[in-house]
Amino acid sequence: MDWSEFARAAAAGSLQSVWQMALIIIPLMVILEIARDLKILNRIAGWMAPGMKIFRLPKEGAFPLLIGLTFGLAYGAGVIIESVKNGQLSWRDLFLINVFLILCHSVVEDTALFIAVGADGAVILISRIALALVVTFLLSRWSGLTRLEKLLGGKMIVPRCTHCRKG
Amino acid sequence: MVSVNTLKRGLHKGIATTWLLTKVVVPIYVAITFLSFTPVLNKIAEDCAPFMKYVGLPGEASLAIVLGNVVNLYAALGVMASLHLNPRETTIIAMMLLLSHTIFVESAVAGKCGINPWIVGISRFIFAVIAGVLLNILL
Repeated sequence: MDWSEFARAAAAGSLQSVWQMALIIIPLMVILEIARDLKILNRIAGWMAPGMKIFRLPKEGAFPLLIGLTFGLAYGAGVIIESVKNGQLSWRDLFLINVFLILCHSVVEDTALFIAVGADGAVILISRIALALVVTFLLSRWSGLTRLEKLLGGKMIVPRCTHCRKG
Repeated sequence: MVSVNTLKRGLHKGIATTWLLTKVVVPIYVAITFLSFTPVLNKIAEDCAPFMKYVGLPGEASLAIVLGNVVNLYAALGVMASLHLNPRETTIIAMMLLLSHTIFVESAVAGKCGINPWIVGISRFIFAVIAGVLLNILL
């Protein structure tokens, strides 16, 4: 095993992935804050609210979903972490958004990569989206979901929030 | 209204989030780079090769699946380039890799969002296998 080669690859690769995340997440957060202050964020979330109702999710869940779907999981996660800090999403919301994004994220780049090597773009894009929609929908209708928090919960502590939830 | 404070807040949130994800991604990235310098991944691929027929792929394609899941999609694409798969096989392996890739890094990121990373990783891989078997029947 070539240790110096390993050190170089590990350092260069780590730096590159951090750089790539910073390059997207920092401008994204600045844009989101500007959009929030101009009330654009509320308006777009309002438009997406009917779509979110399919999964019985609050409209605040629309942004993480949209960002994750187009940019990628890590960037969606960045927005999710922010939303959780603001107390806008419950554990159930987080779980459903995560399930959707885990199955289906970064659809533009990922799909393009595989179309470039000769895969059938329609098959891989449609079945991926369909699978994510079906699985998320089924889980959203399952009443036992909230009881799974202890079993499935990660390390992040979700603040209990009552004022921003319907009902 | 938008003010200097807006930009400051955005910048601060961006840096804080990037740092949080850095702490998750870098240790795993280093560990995975270490693995890719050892024969472990090739050995796993060899052991998986006999099962590839159930998803309609040649045995050598197991290396692309293993590298895609452990390292990333680009590593998998690198292997795929040398395999000369037909369009049907390419679609099957693409679907499997799209559902389940970069499993350790992405599961850890999902873990930061409130889901147990092990459950995430295992269920993604199971979904990929089911998708592979189904496409092998349907296509």
